[in-house]
Amino acid sequence: MQTTISFVLDGKIVALDFNSGSQLTPTTTVLNYLRSLPNHKGAKEGCAEGDCSACTVVLGELAAESKIYYRSVDSCLLFLPMLHGKQLITVENLQNKKGQLHYVQSAMVEAGGSQCGFCTPGIVMSLFSLYKNHNMPTREQINDAITGNLCRCTGYKPIVEAAAQACVYDGIDHFTDDELATVEFLKSISHDSIHIRTKDQEYFRPHNLNEALSLKSKYPNAIVISGSTDVALRVTKGHEVLPQLIDLSGVDELQSIQETADTLTLGAGMILSDVHQAVKNNYPALYAILSVFGSQQIRNVATLGGNLGTASPISDTLPVLMAYNATIILQSIKAKREISLDEFILGYRKTARKLDELITAVRLLQSQNGAIIKSYKISKRKDLDISSVSAGFRLEFNDNKTVKDIKLIYGGMADRTKRATNTEQFLLGKLWKREIVEEARLFINNDFIPISDARGSAEFRTTAAKNLLLKFWSETV
Amino acid sequence: MKQIPHESASKHVSGEAVYIDDIPVSDQLLIGRVVYSPHAHAKIKSFDLNESRKSEGVHAVLFYKDIPGHNQMGPVVDDELCLAIDEVTFVGQAMFLIAAETESQVRTAEKLIKVEYELLDPILTIEQAIEKNNLLGPPRTMQRGDANEALSSAPHVIKGEIRTGAQEHWYLESQISLCIPGEHNEMNVYSGTQNPTETQILVAKVLGVPFNEVVVEIRRMGGAFGGKETQANHIACWSALLAQATKRPVKIRLFRDDDMIMTGKRHRFLTRYEVGFDDNGKLLALKLELNSDGGAATDLSFAIIERAMLHTDNAYFVPNMSVLARVWKTNLPSNTAFRGFGGPQGMAAIESIIDRIARYLKKDTLDVRYTNFYGIETNNVTHYGQKIENNRLFVIYDQLMKSSEYYKRRSEVNKFNATHEFIKKGLACTPVKFGISFTTTYLNQAGALVNVYTDGTILVNHGGTEMGQGLHTKIQQIAAAEFGVSLERVKVDSTNTSKIPNTSATAASSGTDLNGAAVKNAIDILKFRIAEEMAKVFSEKNPSNPTIQNLIQFQKDNVIDSANPERNMKFDEVINLMRLRQIGLSSTGYYRTPEIGWDKQKGWGKPFYYYSFGMCVSEILLDILTGRHTILRVDILHDAGKSLNPLIDRGQIEGGFVQGVGWCTTEEIKWDDKGRLMTHSPDTYKIPTVQDIPKDFRVEFLQDYPNPIAIRQSKTVAEPPFMYGLSTWLAIKDAVSATKNHKIEPEFSLPATNEVILLAIERLKQ
Repeated sequence: MQTTISFVLDGKIVALDFNSGSQLTPTTTVLNYLRSLPNHKGAKEGCAEGDCSACTVVLGELAAESKIYYRSVDSCLLFLPMLHGKQLITVENLQNKKGQLHYVQSAMVEAGGSQCGFCTPGIVMSLFSLYKNHNMPTREQINDAITGNLCRCTGYKPIVEAAAQACVYDGIDHFTDDELATVEFLKSISHDSIHIRTKDQEYFRPHNLNEALSLKSKYPNAIVISGSTDVALRVTKGHEVLPQLIDLSGVDELQSIQETADTLTLGAGMILSDVHQAVKNNYPALYAILSVFGSQQIRNVATLGGNLGTASPISDTLPVLMAYNATIILQSIKAKREISLDEFILGYRKTARKLDELITAVRLLQSQNGAIIKSYKISKRKDLDISSVSAGFRLEFNDNKTVKDIKLIYGGMADRTKRATNTEQFLLGKLWKREIVEEARLFINNDFIPISDARGSAEFRTTAAKNLLLKFWSETV
Repeated sequence: MKQIPHESASKHVSGEAVYIDDIPVSDQLLIGRVVYSPHAHAKIKSFDLNESRKSEGVHAVLFYKDIPGHNQMGPVVDDELCLAIDEVTFVGQAMFLIAAETESQVRTAEKLIKVEYELLDPILTIEQAIEKNNLLGPPRTMQRGDANEALSSAPHVIKGEIRTGAQEHWYLESQISLCIPGEHNEMNVYSGTQNPTETQILVAKVLGVPFNEVVVEIRRMGGAFGGKETQANHIACWSALLAQATKRPVKIRLFRDDDMIMTGKRHRFLTRYEVGFDDNGKLLALKLELNSDGGAATDLSFAIIERAMLHTDNAYFVPNMSVLARVWKTNLPSNTAFRGFGGPQGMAAIESIIDRIARYLKKDTLDVRYTNFYGIETNNVTHYGQKIENNRLFVIYDQLMKSSEYYKRRSEVNKFNATHEFIKKGLACTPVKFGISFTTTYLNQAGALVNVYTDGTILVNHGGTEMGQGLHTKIQQIAAAEFGVSLERVKVDSTNTSKIPNTSATAASSGTDLNGAAVKNAIDILKFRIAEEMAKVFSEKNPSNPTIQNLIQFQKDNVIDSANPERNMKFDEVINLMRLRQIGLSSTGYYRTPEIGWDKQKGWGKPFYYYSFGMCVSEILLDILTGRHTILRVDILHDAGKSLNPLIDRGQIEGGFVQGVGWCTTEEIKWDDKGRLMTHSPDTYKIPTVQDIPKDFRVEFLQDYPNPIAIRQSKTVAEPPFMYGLSTWLAIKDAVSATKNHKIEPEFSLPATNEVILLAIERLKQ
């Protein structure tokens, strides 16, 4: 058991000990840590909630074949121990030893990509991640890389131009030159479990599933995190001191993906960026919703299990996973069970997970019996926004074009993700045609009494929910 | 001039650029926090600060009686308390100040403050304020001709109202101030302010010290957009009070949510109108009633509504017009300057009216616009008496119609809409005519200080502040061009009130025009001195053919006798020589805008030095089942005179447009029925992302139309492009209207969120 964490920064291994009376705690964010250093003030705090990405840094992680995989993340949402075993790259690291600007930096200068400059370090880091991952990126890839980065000055166009101009050298740069040395550093960092205990806090970072399950059984009330994109807000915005945390991000078993002839099992600890790629071919409705889920920075740390575990009534993934009839696997030190997502969600942020259980995986069937499945998200802004209304629809026909089975699952319409059962009942057995669907829309009134809030009025939500049914129809004929 | 990147661009991209929060400070630094009202309107019955004061790490907890000077911080009118006394009038109003050693200590101390309130009824909407006749000040009027009479004889008359929403500035860098006390009464203030002089004055007043004890400095801001024109003063005053009380450096950086809750926004407007027009859509009479939500205090509300009144004509000649403008007092944070400064609200009204007239007459909106453009020879005087010189509307119209193929695309859009039920396209073109100058005429002045050093480098100080707009870059270019030296020789220094006193805010799109001219003036003075002396130097060796001072030129890093080009000397050698010959190498400069004059009472005169012109065509695609729009293509043709820096000006145009689109589409501010801001973070307040910009985004400058009267024949860019966003708003309305084949006027407000769009479509169905 280690009590310190180690990571690579500025070309050397940094070890942090939380137990020696330092100002740092296990829930100190990487952003606040960086800004406390004399030479890392490039990363900026714009919102402290992952909604502006002015704090973007890049994490280098050891991948197969001694390669390093580079991912952009919001440093404002990342707790320090999550850096363990990784390379932390900040904007200060991008210039080479001669002090020359990196390609992405000089392209930003030439294109006029900075005005006030406050969002710029974050944007540069997003572009650096793009540079390392996509040579000659498409406009879509460029957009995706910087969707999370809010800029209030430029209108983004010069930034897009800079990205296209810079990312043409096969990802080669001085990090490539240093990669072997960095790999050696990273390999030298022990992957043992970490246990940090301070005056107010206890932080566990188990390194295998068994250990994680024992900890959960021993500390059933501990807060479970992996990417901490949700829990971190309790620290950065709620200013809470979280007493006990179990961080699952070091558990390899939870990050695996298993495919059989019948099922695809996604580890609960898989980050959403990886889930996004894994479902690209066979689960287009899930892929589509993940494409507008948060930002790349969020998807690079947020996990599928974490997203389901919060049981948010405005979840983006729940409706579509339910439409795919996905099941969830819950495991404790004593037992393992698999239940449907309908059974999993019990109420407002309430699930069937017992205190000693962890969500370990989500399972999807390979075949959907010819069902049509679609996902929808209505939000004020298309990207990086929380839904006003979300939906996952599943439709199966009888041979005579009548409705054999239909699931209309909505988010944002009730205290939980909920099916429009009256509407479904009405449609069952009926012909799937315009007039019937128009009539079915009226049943939405019986199914939901939504609330009015910052994201939309009840009237708007009901109208949108009805319209989505018609939209679904229009996309199936 | 050339495409020169922002002077700080390399520092921006490398993270080296120092913002106030990045300034290294001693370990004596204390963290300041403002404790603010949770209630929109309440009496403070009692409060107890004792526990808080005893809390660990706390060095000061201040309330209003601890203010040694004047408990006021309004920029124009003394109606804004620095700290509340016995009543709070909006959620976010400052009540107490805490300084402690760490962030968590100030938060702990805050929780220990106990306050008892007696809740009072708040006024939270313009309608409620109208009902209670709760005016913030006397109404303003402006008129030409007789609108009533013209309305009674007009062939067509329409009445209606239009609402435009508030907008949060969402500068990336939230409000911040770092105050470092000096000896005795001195206070050094690093403030993210657009208006260092006003910050200096207000800090001195709350501290109760003479103005010459306070120095305000700002290197750069991480965006401002008007939000730091007056309200940055507050943060500076609060941190100065704490610094003075503790005799230690104190920094207050507003947490994002606190910034959004505490500070003012763009004014909401409710505009009622009655318009008369003929069969061609020619405007005959317009009666307007502008109602703005001023919030709890005056701030700049009257200047803002004045600019709205001055822009309700936009590009159109209205022979008979009367405008009544009233600012209403509500229990919300005092609303404030925001790019456009009332202009967008005024233009939204007239553009909305013209749009409606076109639908009423079954004409294309652009035809109606064209019909009403201000003329070159006739119909060229505004409703406030200013003649429009150098009208660029027609040349811009001609060029943009060609390049954007507006009419061809109009018929394509109509065809598309005829064959698609669930998706519709919309198209709109709107012009912008924006008046350049502070309408408070005396503010149109600027100062500069130019120092030349003996290595031939130049340090330029001026009164303008850099907030990302590229002012310092343009000043650097102007200075280099005037001195005939390379850009590398010129450095533009932080803005500092001890170097340039008594400045105006960097606002009203005037930064470059005013400060650039002041810098030129300082350089002219220096060049005169140097030329005078160099004429002697050159003549000493050529007594028979002396050098004439007026023929000395500064070019290519040389000083040269243009009549005898062999007589020349490198710039740095000249400067060195000047020191040896006892010539002063430092000069102040000054500029005030000529020719303008404006009678606020009569609402008549020439408030603007010149006008900025441009036009924008937006085409959008609308999913009528979800209310989601996509901007397909945007064509902008903008008049920047002879652009000082096309790279920077293009950035201002594109960025301004996108910011305007945000105001017109996704940026919605909501308060609950207790006056609490519901959209207090980027989680719920949505500014545009990269995905929201036009798929095809074409920006061009009007070529070969230099501005005869501003610095180096340029025109400012700054605010005007914001209002191009209105074309996107009206393109969306066009698509909504297409769902009923343009037969019914949709009920439409601004911003056109997907909610507004869907519900407008629903109502059209009924």
